[in-house]
Amino acid sequence: MHLKKLRKLLLLPVSLLIAALFLTAPKAQAASKKTYIIGTDQTFKPFEIQDKDGTYNGKNPGIDIEILREIAKHENFKYELKIMSFNADVQALQSGQIDGMIAGMSVTEERKKTIDFSNSYYTDGVCLAVAKDSKITSMKDLKGKTVNVKTGTTSAIYAKSIQKKYGFKLKYYTNSNTSWADVKAGNADACFDDGPSLRYGIANGTGLRIVGKQVSNAPLAFAVKKGENQELLKMFNDGLAWLKKTGRLKKIVNKYTSKKAVKSQVVADTSILGLIKDNAGALLQGLWMTIELSIVGILAALVFGLILGIMGIAEHKFWHGLANVIIYIFRGIPMMVLAFFIYIGMPTLLGHKLPLFTAGILTLMLDEGAYIGAIVRGGFESVDVGQWEAARSLGLPYYKALWKVVAPQGFKLMIPSLVNQFIITLKDTSILSAIGVMDLTQTGANLIAQNFQGFKMWLIIAVIYLIIITLLTWLSNYIQKKMQH
Amino acid sequence: MEEKYKVQVTDLHKSYDGVHEVIKGASLDVAPSEVVCIIGPSGSGKSTFLRCINKLEDFQDGHIYLDGVDLADPKVDINKMREKIGMVFQHFNLFPNMTVLENITLAPVELGKEDKETAIKEAHKYLQMVNMDDKADVKPTTLSGGQQQRVAIARALAMKPDVMLFDEPTSALDPEMVGDVLNVMKKLAQEGMTMIVVTHEMGFAKQVADKVAFFYGGVIKELGTPEEIFDHPQEEETKNFLNKVLNI
Ligand SMILES: Nc1ncnc2c1ncn2[C@@H]1O[C@H](COP(=O)(O)OP(=O)(O)OP(=O)(O)O)[C@@H](O)[C@H]1O
Ligand SMILES: [Mg+2]
Repeated sequence: MHLKKLRKLLLLPVSLLIAALFLTAPKAQAASKKTYIIGTDQTFKPFEIQDKDGTYNGKNPGIDIEILREIAKHENFKYELKIMSFNADVQALQSGQIDGMIAGMSVTEERKKTIDFSNSYYTDGVCLAVAKDSKITSMKDLKGKTVNVKTGTTSAIYAKSIQKKYGFKLKYYTNSNTSWADVKAGNADACFDDGPSLRYGIANGTGLRIVGKQVSNAPLAFAVKKGENQELLKMFNDGLAWLKKTGRLKKIVNKYTSKKAVKSQVVADTSILGLIKDNAGALLQGLWMTIELSIVGILAALVFGLILGIMGIAEHKFWHGLANVIIYIFRGIPMMVLAFFIYIGMPTLLGHKLPLFTAGILTLMLDEGAYIGAIVRGGFESVDVGQWEAARSLGLPYYKALWKVVAPQGFKLMIPSLVNQFIITLKDTSILSAIGVMDLTQTGANLIAQNFQGFKMWLIIAVIYLIIITLLTWLSNYIQKKMQH
Repeated sequence: MEEKYKVQVTDLHKSYDGVHEVIKGASLDVAPSEVVCIIGPSGSGKSTFLRCINKLEDFQDGHIYLDGVDLADPKVDINKMREKIGMVFQHFNLFPNMTVLENITLAPVELGKEDKETAIKEAHKYLQMVNMDDKADVKPTTLSGGQQQRVAIARALAMKPDVMLFDEPTSALDPEMVGDVLNVMKKLAQEGMTMIVVTHEMGFAKQVADKVAFFYGGVIKELGTPEEIFDHPQEEETKNFLNKVLNI
């Protein structure tokens, strides 16, 4: 009888989860005209230039986005941009999370094995860059030095191919701005990166200098998964031919690469107050996403954790083992790995896409839920065994004794740990920026890509986190005091 | 199993670890309205024996019949059986998250024995009986040990059990509190409650018990009327034990 009840209790969230997975996805197909999900990079100038709010909706979103925009208009298809790191994009493309990808991606034989490329819209190459005052003047000076590259890019492949010859160490980044800032700060000696991208950055004040010539020239193209979305590929090629024929392509490219290239919005006031005022909208949006993720995440995690906790002290020992295994697994997997697995791995399994927010919440639910499960079980277990015995001796069945007598006492014991876990959850949401969630952390990274004010911006972000966590701690202390009376 | 007994324990064997037996074949018959006191040295298995009777502990062998129903039978609904067996613990085990009154009404209401209104009325009746009605609305943690134990007795009685089990109900009390609790128990005995009481209160055993069972090494070494056990003990171990406890 108890087993049945527990099963029912377990079925609820599992079915909710499954419902969430299946209900959220097929919306796109239901629409009369298909909306393609196109993956693109976080700011990778001049191909991708995010605006202050982290979107590509502005007037100067970069070469790739402008090409895509024009082609979509001309070919009459709808698309939605998915902004992730280059590497995550490639994986998402292969798992079917996104339909196509445009991110300054160069055509290589290796990639051709799993990817179908469009005709090329630009020829790109790799450059070596160092800090302005660096003594490095050629590749030969790289011996024993640390060189930055962006994971999964042509620059990384090129750097790897000459690493032995020149004897340097490689350091990997997921985003160019951090890689450049690292070189400028002297943590690394040089970096290989995309030529146009480096030149555009230098024009906008990255404080770097290019060494030598552009090498490893390769065509850039739009990509779809091999054998999939062929109609999209065809539309892109048709549109591209039209852009070339009408001279529009040249205009777009020149807009970003000629001497008179557009500059990023110049931030007039780079004092901390000025930065806050200038970016208040974006910061608030990021903060709101962080809060939303934290609250929905902790609620989902509480439900999952509660179930794990109850399983952990269930009448039948079988459930103890199962709870232990689940807790062990999700506590053992680093949250970032779990996030990638859910967002990029799961679609392969499910056969359809998973919305970003859902993936983020699932990650929080499983990871934080495992910790909460252990807290809940511990709380129940630390209730005096005499309470169980008294309740059972009155004839109360196991789960009645649990709910009416043991659980209320257990919860009281758990509150400090649960509050602590909530604070941890809030901080952990920043890990989700890895899959492209525009939370406070990701917003910060984007803003810095605009204004190159790394120190001040991270300081601002850190202080914002501290403020909400302080407020949260006060609130919880207040509630705890209230509850004791 | 004979119908005339309320509780009948036959050849009970119990071990906690599967190796060492703590109860090594104990048998006891308790007639309706009979009061049996269990005495014996520490660690002899008195609590274990008592806790087997409402299956707070599982046992490996033997039978425990309550009104002819065998608790060893896996088909028996143990929760239903426990409703008929009240238990009072050494450390009271009142529920600290509820008031005195809620402690008492919880089980009858939750188990559908009484509606809330009746349960409250009944609870006041039992609280009056144990002389605690003025504390109905306080939390148990504000009460003295003796008061808590009397509430615990009222809580057990509220389920209208056929049998009451007491495991050293006065051992955790300050000496001046002991009398109040024992008086309540005496009153219960006089009203005809069937009771099994593990106790170190030899005076109470002499005065109230119909039978005294002397536990030693996991068996009932000697069983008899209070006179037989206290005045004419037959076994060497019984004599030694009584010498020790009566001469301190
Ligand atoms: N939960 C348990 N797990 C393992 N061994 C136990 C457990 N409870 C009791 N024992 C052991 O069983 C034996 C009998 O214990 P029990 O508590 O029944 O003795 P008792 O006669 O009630 O003693 P006391 O007068 O001290 O209460 C002791 O050796 C004790 O150590
Ligand atoms: Mg004992």
